Amino acid sequence: MKRLWWVVLLAMAVLSCHGRAAVVGGGLARVRAAGVLRWGGDIQGGEPYVYEDSEHGGRLTGFEVELANALARELGVRAQFVQNDWSALIPTLERGTFDVALNGVEVTPQRVGRVRFTRPYYIFGARLMARRNDPSVQPSLASLRGRRVGTLANSFSYELLRHVAEIVPYEGVEEPYIDLVQGRTDAVLLDDIIATRYGEPKPELRVVGDIADGYYSVALRPADDDLRVALDAALARITASGELERILRGSNIFNDRQRRLVTWTDDDQRRMLGTAAAGQRFGWSHVALFAKGALVTLLLSALAMCLAIPLGLGLAVARLYGPRALSRLAGAYVELYRGTPVLLQLYVLYYGLAPIVKLNALSAAVLGLGMNYAAYEAEVYRAGIQAVPRGQMEAALSLGMTTPLALRRVVLPQAFRLALPSVTNDFIALLKDSSLVSVITVVELTKQMTITAVDIRGWGLPGALCALMYFTMSYPLSLLAQRLEARLARS
Amino acid sequence: MIEVHELRKVYGDRTILDGVTASFAQGQVVALVGPSGGGKSTLLRCLNGLESFDGGAVSIGGDRLVPGGAKANRAALHRVRQRVGMVFQQWNLFAHRTALGNVIEAPVHVKKVPLAQATERGRALLARVGLSHREGAYPHEMSGGEQQRVAIARALAMDPEALLLDEPTSALDPERVGEVLDVLGALAADGLTMLVVTHEMRFARNVSHRTLVLHGGRIIEDGPSKEVIDNPKHERTRAFLGMDRK
Repeated sequence: MKRLWWVVLLAMAVLSCHGRAAVVGGGLARVRAAGVLRWGGDIQGGEPYVYEDSEHGGRLTGFEVELANALARELGVRAQFVQNDWSALIPTLERGTFDVALNGVEVTPQRVGRVRFTRPYYIFGARLMARRNDPSVQPSLASLRGRRVGTLANSFSYELLRHVAEIVPYEGVEEPYIDLVQGRTDAVLLDDIIATRYGEPKPELRVVGDIADGYYSVALRPADDDLRVALDAALARITASGELERILRGSNIFNDRQRRLVTWTDDDQRRMLGTAAAGQRFGWSHVALFAKGALVTLLLSALAMCLAIPLGLGLAVARLYGPRALSRLAGAYVELYRGTPVLLQLYVLYYGLAPIVKLNALSAAVLGLGMNYAAYEAEVYRAGIQAVPRGQMEAALSLGMTTPLALRRVVLPQAFRLALPSVTNDFIALLKDSSLVSVITVVELTKQMTITAVDIRGWGLPGALCALMYFTMSYPLSLLAQRLEARLARS
Repeated sequence: MIEVHELRKVYGDRTILDGVTASFAQGQVVALVGPSGGGKSTLLRCLNGLESFDGGAVSIGGDRLVPGGAKANRAALHRVRQRVGMVFQQWNLFAHRTALGNVIEAPVHVKKVPLAQATERGRALLARVGLSHREGAYPHEMSGGEQQRVAIARALAMDPEALLLDEPTSALDPERVGEVLDVLGALAADGLTMLVVTHEMRFARNVSHRTLVLHGGRIIEDGPSKEVIDNPKHERTRAFLGMDRK
């Protein structure tokens, strides 16, 4: 028990250090000395931000690439792109992997309290879209009260919708509109650039209107304020010279809103930054949300396992005793599901099959995880069945039992007992794998943790609590597995 | 009641049974003896279809088994296996059931005997093999001799017309052999038809009515047990019984 507490304390210590290791001062000197401005972005965000141009051998392209090059040139250095998951741009910036985050980073009160922003390089509208045949959605936040609205997690639009709508958080830009078409949500609120590229081409959808203006700025660590000042000056120069307008026009995203960039004043900057949201304190309300997340995780895992166990059993029996065709089919199922990532399977099930079967997110999650784990359970049972001595089957047959009866009454009960420790261990793995379903908008424990970490501007406490909750769920199961193994060894 | 006609079994390029013909009458106790690899166990396992064969036929009562394994004999196999019980060298008790559970499993689930009735009969059978006090024991809690006696009771619970026993005492500690042979002697005295593959010559001579010697997949000697064992005609039998030097 003592050892256990050390593990927990160590985990908390590691997690609370994370994010505080800011590099101190001299950002501009550092960049000049290195000769490179390292900027973080995510090519997954796609056209027109930063993307790989397939027609030019995957060359890095996009208006932010041109902007980064221009800014670096103004500083007398070279720009160097660093790929990073979009949702983790700010924490990665904080730990010093790159000098600036420059990839559609929207100015939100949460981020203002955490990083320094330059003047904006793009002004976007938070664009509301709904289905063409649904007139109930109006161009106002009030009309969204209580409705299901899709948006990117931790985005500007997410902040607008908070406390108003039932938010369905996504991690990609295409998926919110797919779900809107399918009727899984009532509306989508996202930046106009995204809406234009991914939402407006869909004939089933209509633009309801733009609800608020938002800003893309370059984000820096607070300690690098001299670099921020230098970048502000560089931005002012390329804005005044018309270079920024040329860059934006090159990507077809220049519009009347951008004219404000030319006359941008210190007052505008103050208004944009507004009052930094006081970082929320981690409190009981968060603990309650975590408990709810943990409940979703547990429910999801339990239901998925309830599906995986009988399905896996069927597959194992079909593979070992079924007619040749069925046996091959079961074998193919196992290899297919074990040989491809569960993330991909969830995507196919939820988005790929949406035109045929319209599953809600939780059902798709249970079905996806259950079908994936069935493949693993099938192999566990197969090993269990093969470990039952042949004589057991022979004895059953010699007593006049049919093969199915002998399986049901004699072989499978023993195989199941042999497999039980592995099944328990698989359930522990499933508890943690279940965090993958956040890609299909299910908010479970890990997703709740990342959302809260942004709200309170720190990963330490949420991370520790999240770890503790997973541990609380899996440790008893681990003990159970050990006990089952011991019992098996005795008999 | 059991007829074997020209039974042939080939395994790869090895001939295991090379045209075995024999018939066994009701109430007869027959010992199958001979050197290992002679085909005794295979012959026994062909009789209830645990082993398929390549030529000839087996008929038990009115049911006939032909070459082609389970696929060709599906209906007949089910009936044959209810008519003849089998006892294995390694007992093969169901590891997850108690002694009583092993005995009542097939009557309840194959013959659909009501549980109370099957239990009553199961207890009587355990008493008959001297194991009333062990009805709640699991296989891993019992000695080999006890497990083999439970296995005999389990086979008897299906009311077989004949019992096939495949080296029932070979895997037992020497001091446990007697208790199993005593049970078999009592069953023989009750008139149960039994075919026993065995190396226990005392049992073959004193209990069985008839002894068959198998060698190289053929029956090389067949006659009343005392005659075959005390005065074998075939030189292979003499060699097997260790009588050459006499």
